Amino acid sequence: MFRFEREQSRVNIGGVVIGGQPGELPSVLCGTIFYQGQKLVEDEERGIFSRPAAERLVSRQAELSEETGCPSILHIYAKSIEAFGKYLDFAEEAWGGAFIIDSADPATRMAAAALVSEVGYADKAIYNSISLATDESEGRALGESEVDSAIILAYNPSQPGVEGSLAILETGGGVRKNGLLEEAREAGVRNLLIDPAVLPLGSGAGSALRFSVAAKARLGLPVGSGIHNAVSSWPWLSGKDAAIKKSCDASAAAMQLLAAADFLLYGPIENAEIIFPAAALADILVAEAVRDLEIVPAKVHPLHRLV
Amino acid sequence: MTEVVQGGGRGYEDPWPPVRGDYHVVDPLSAVAVVTLTSPMILRGCAIFGQCKTENLGIEKIVANVISNCNIRFVIICGLESKGHLPGNTLLALHKNGIDDQGRIIGSKGAIPFIQNIPPEAVRRFQDQVEVIDCIGIVDAEEIERLIDQCSRQSAPYPAEPFQVVKRRSVPAHIYAGDADMTFGSGVVMDASAWLVMQVSEGG
Repeated sequence: MFRFEREQSRVNIGGVVIGGQPGELPSVLCGTIFYQGQKLVEDEERGIFSRPAAERLVSRQAELSEETGCPSILHIYAKSIEAFGKYLDFAEEAWGGAFIIDSADPATRMAAAALVSEVGYADKAIYNSISLATDESEGRALGESEVDSAIILAYNPSQPGVEGSLAILETGGGVRKNGLLEEAREAGVRNLLIDPAVLPLGSGAGSALRFSVAAKARLGLPVGSGIHNAVSSWPWLSGKDAAIKKSCDASAAAMQLLAAADFLLYGPIENAEIIFPAAALADILVAEAVRDLEIVPAKVHPLHRLV
Repeated sequence: MTEVVQGGGRGYEDPWPPVRGDYHVVDPLSAVAVVTLTSPMILRGCAIFGQCKTENLGIEKIVANVISNCNIRFVIICGLESKGHLPGNTLLALHKNGIDDQGRIIGSKGAIPFIQNIPPEAVRRFQDQVEVIDCIGIVDAEEIERLIDQCSRQSAPYPAEPFQVVKRRSVPAHIYAGDADMTFGSGVVMDASAWLVMQVSEGG
């Protein structure tokens, strides 16, 4: 819970507004579907999946959004462009809102950006991500698409920590000619979402929390993270009961929101059931903490819906 | 921020492996370590086996755990490659080419192939101590176990002390906070009386 001297910008992607001062807007929650290993995916190369199971999950995310006031985005992970095409068809029919394009394969990401432009969904799409790994051809492909929203991954392996993450955004940090922010804007990105890249516990996961405050103070852009990665990659936790893992997921989400994040890439969409209440709780506490600092919560804020 | 420490009469020091990760230890006296990339496998006869899905932190852990055991002379890379990240390709490139001045693994096709937590001499030791065997794509455990057996017969421990990558605690630097009460580093401070987070310049 902080109040930033610098004006905090907001972006509107497919009707979902992200950013602002902590306590103003509800947190935006992005659940991942079709990720590697998800049970409902039968063939990740061809994009064959159980449609009823997928519908149940996206419907539940939408219901929890409506109930809590925390907007949501569908984070679509695809292994191939063939799979992404099928997932996109599904998303348009069963979801209809903003979504994230994601793949470990740059060719799939580029083809997905082209596809959403071709079928007219680019204004609802968020490209994940522009990073140190983004080469000239990927930047050019993004520029040629109509996608103008992207997550900028501030991962700087040559200089770990908050300063290095800010450097990769602002100057290139010595490993790129230009900062990622400049390169994103050159690729036509207008809606920039900053993600510190969460490392495993023990490798610097906690720096994501301080980075979130520092990045908002210095850049005034919306910030969020996939803090659940710190939980899912924790070997000590892997043998524990599901309830214990869920409590850690919810705790990590709330801590990231307390550290000024505007959005969460909260991991498997199955976790919606625990993340939305935790995020709503964090949002209400933050809004109440800054109530006498001339920060007014939006009409849709969980503060107005759940208490 | 690393140093080399000496020791180890059996070719390794307890506790081994020194770095935690997603692996299984079988026999620390074996000459073979196996990286199964994204494929879950159960293997016998090797020193250690486990998955590796990332082209930076995962690779560092492999190097640190391998060079801290002189018995290990072979690293078999098998299983299915992690798309985009390409840790298998990256480990081969690291062994063949090493790293540049910024820690980038030369010749890797992985997304973000950097070494940040281990020193260049650890990489050179890895290159010198082990032979890397490219079995990327092979997921048959029996085939890999046959290869482990072959490698084990033709090796002697590396003739040096185990190489331990130890993180040295750095001295905290003074962080300028101006007239504010709290600092977040990176020139960002907070005036707690106004609950205001702002950016300041060094010295004023």
